Amino acid sequence: MAVLRRVLPALLCVALVLTACLRAARGAEAPGEYQVKAVFVYNFSHFVDWPPQAFSAPDQPFVIGILGDDPFGTRMDETVRGEQIDRHPLSVRRLSSIGDIGDCQILYIGRSESARLPQILAALNHRSTLTVSDLDGSAQRGVMMEFLTENNRIRLRINVDAARAAGLTISSKLLRPAEIVATRTKD
Amino acid sequence: MTQSSIPIRRILMRMIFLASGVVLAVTTTAFFAYELLTFRQSSVQQLQILSQAIASNSTAALAFDNADDAAGVMGAFKADPHIAAAALYDVHGKLFATYPRGLPAARLPANPGMPGYSFGRNSLIGFEPVAEGARQLGTLYVDSDLGLMYARIRLYALIVFLVIGISLPLAYFISRRLQHQLLRPILALADTTRAVSERHDYTVRAARTGAYEFDLFTDTFNHMLMQIQQSEGKLHAQLGRLSLLQHITRATGERQDLPSIFQVLLVSLEANLPMDFGCVLLHDAAAQSLTVSALGASGRSYADKLGLAEHTSVPLDANGLSRCVAGHLVYEPDVLETPFPFPQELAAAGLRSMVIAPLIVENHVFGVLLCARGGEHAFSSGECEFLKQLSEHVALASHQARLYGALQQAYDDLRQSQHAVMQQERLRALGQMASGIAHDINNAISPVSLYTESLLEREPNLSARARGYLTTIQRAIEDVARTVARMREFYREREAQLTLERVDLNRAVRQIIELTRPRWSDQPQQRGLMIDLKTELQDSLPDIMGADNEIRDALTNLIFNAVDAMPAGGTLTVGTRRGADGDGSDRVLIDVSDTGVGMDEDTRRRCLEPFFTTKGERGTGLGLAMVYGMIQRHSAELDIQSAAGKGTTVTLSFPAFTSSAVSVNTMINRPALTRRLRILLVDDDPMLIKSLQDALQDDGHQITATHGGQAGIDAFAAAQKRGETPDLVITDLGMPHVDGRKVASSIKMLSATTPVILLTGWGQRLAAENDIPPHVDRLLSKPPRLHELRAALAELAP
Repeated sequence: MAVLRRVLPALLCVALVLTACLRAARGAEAPGEYQVKAVFVYNFSHFVDWPPQAFSAPDQPFVIGILGDDPFGTRMDETVRGEQIDRHPLSVRRLSSIGDIGDCQILYIGRSESARLPQILAALNHRSTLTVSDLDGSAQRGVMMEFLTENNRIRLRINVDAARAAGLTISSKLLRPAEIVATRTKD
Repeated sequence: MTQSSIPIRRILMRMIFLASGVVLAVTTTAFFAYELLTFRQSSVQQLQILSQAIASNSTAALAFDNADDAAGVMGAFKADPHIAAAALYDVHGKLFATYPRGLPAARLPANPGMPGYSFGRNSLIGFEPVAEGARQLGTLYVDSDLGLMYARIRLYALIVFLVIGISLPLAYFISRRLQHQLLRPILALADTTRAVSERHDYTVRAARTGAYEFDLFTDTFNHMLMQIQQSEGKLHAQLGRLSLLQHITRATGERQDLPSIFQVLLVSLEANLPMDFGCVLLHDAAAQSLTVSALGASGRSYADKLGLAEHTSVPLDANGLSRCVAGHLVYEPDVLETPFPFPQELAAAGLRSMVIAPLIVENHVFGVLLCARGGEHAFSSGECEFLKQLSEHVALASHQARLYGALQQAYDDLRQSQHAVMQQERLRALGQMASGIAHDINNAISPVSLYTESLLEREPNLSARARGYLTTIQRAIEDVARTVARMREFYREREAQLTLERVDLNRAVRQIIELTRPRWSDQPQQRGLMIDLKTELQDSLPDIMGADNEIRDALTNLIFNAVDAMPAGGTLTVGTRRGADGDGSDRVLIDVSDTGVGMDEDTRRRCLEPFFTTKGERGTGLGLAMVYGMIQRHSAELDIQSAAGKGTTVTLSFPAFTSSAVSVNTMINRPALTRRLRILLVDDDPMLIKSLQDALQDDGHQITATHGGQAGIDAFAAAQKRGETPDLVITDLGMPHVDGRKVASSIKMLSATTPVILLTGWGQRLAAENDIPPHVDRLLSKPPRLHELRAALAELAP
């Protein structure tokens, strides 16, 4: 028993260390879903052309807006930190109301905004804002870029008509790996 | 062409092959290198283009982490089968997608390299950045094997081989065609040169082919050939002339008389130079003219036109002849332009050009050689030079011929002199022998003569028959004495003085014709031949001074020769006539002609030589020699005209008698015997002593006969002592020990006034040799004749 008393604290220490190490290892190995999505959102800025009137000034920031719940945490900020697109510095804004979406070049619509989606899209009517969402079926509902997960891999579903209607040009390269859909009108 | 030299065709082929081979090699190598270089560049470019396209198309797949899409995009590499491997790495260098799918990671580099392309051992490796805009999304790795390049190399090699394989035969055929064009003139020239060098035929010409340089070459070559041909022609002509010169030199050298030298010269020149007319003229410096010595045979027609014949004289004036005589070779290319008579005559005869070459010996022109041709300017300078040289040779040959003639003459004279000397020696021996024989015979017949004469004189009672016999004996003795005397005629050359008397040649001829009648009349008739004798004697012919007997002997010999020359009969003519010699003095000639066989030149020349005979064993060879001796002793001349088959005429020419000539022989009147004499008779021949003693005693003389010389001298001395000195001594000349000379001298010493008569069988010879010894008062020959003896006694002891 005395031996148990002497060994037990040591075993506990080892178990603690191992656990810590395993967690650390898991975090380094596989980036999280939103880490990837943050990079994807950033990457969109390279494959999509915005019309010049989308910016009021040459040094106006390129704004990525996050409407609703923010699933990225700080990941989005880390991804875009220090980046520029055509001398437009990138900035991330977290938006709470539809009224704030006017200045965004990319607008991520969180899962919490499913119900208000038609209003949001209506509010963005004909503005050159690339809408991105990971709501299922959001592309058919008029969102330009929809993330969907397939075999643990993130895929894109793109509503080209919506983007064209917003005056945005999506690179054909982006279209290749994506699934192209059209806006499904309500019955 | 030597065996080792390479034909030009092969050399050309080699050159063409070498040149085209080198060009081909350089061209293909450059092509090869260029293609390889550009192929590498284009390979890199193509790979780069492909990689960039793939990279560009892969940006979205990388940006949005779609490996399947990336693999799909890289599937486009299938278009290039040489892309062995490809891979996409994300921006962190992590392998993102591979081509082909499922390529093991070990086959790929662990990390992407620096962007760019590089050739590896067997592959071309490239790293292409994948970027969207300024943002790099990853790196594309491409590995292309070099199979294409190797395939390209193989293709190129094949092409090169094909090109070489096609172009070289093509070059061969083209060059053969072109070579033919190029070589034809060269080979034609080579054939021509070969023909020239092998056959020495310089008349062939290379044909023109139409190519300028070759034609120039051909023309030059032909020109050269023409010059060679001309030179050869000249050489040939020169050789011909040299040969002619040698031929003529030899021909003239073989001849030793001028006419035949000139004749062979002209005949050779006419045949071989040739020329139309030629003649040799001899220079007569005194007459200032040239005399034709020889004319060419085939130029006779020209000679007739010119009026030239042998011995025709051509005057020397200022024309070419005189220049030639001055020692120059004269060439008249056109005689029409020479305004002198002789050249104009030549022109008129149809001879337009002439060459006159002087014949010079020791700086003296003794003649000229004239050559003429019908055409003007017909003699080349070579021929003139030839004629000049020829004339020198001919002049030399002529000179030698003259020298030879003179030498021959001298030699003949010498030989004749030698013959004469030998003959004289022989005759002397013969004469001595004949004298000895004559002496003995005279001694032997002396008693016969004395007794016969004595008998006929003193015996009146002899019967008619005995008297007739004795007369016959006396005549026979006289014949013997004459025969002996003639025998001694053989040797008379040394007679210093001849006993000359006036001779009537007509009488001598008549006598000899009668004396020789048996020979020209009787003997031929016995053989059935007829010799007709004609005499053509001129009346009132002057006498000559001569030895009657010698002249008779000479005539006899001539008549005998004439008869012998007519073995088949004929006419013998003997004539006398009057003539005159050069200075006008009278001469008397005797001709003895026959119609016999005659003599050829050689015989005529030699007939006077002693012992030369045409009669074989029958002749002595002395007949004409004796005639000739007589002629010489009489200061007469002998001429013989004869030709083979034409008969012979011998003419003797004597100077006519003039009052200045003195007769040495006067007839001695027979003196009457006046008294009886005491006579001492000295001889060694008892027969002679006896007969002489008898004959003299019959005349009443008192004879003391002694035998031998010494006995005679002793008897004379004894008689003198007795006071009975003999009135006269008759002694023989030839006696042993003490001969007649000693006897005579001894007698004269004893009694200078006593006359001595010397009797000798050699009496004539002594007289001839002017050898009457001193102390001898009279010389009488044996056999002694009584009337001679009596006359001598009467004269010496009156």
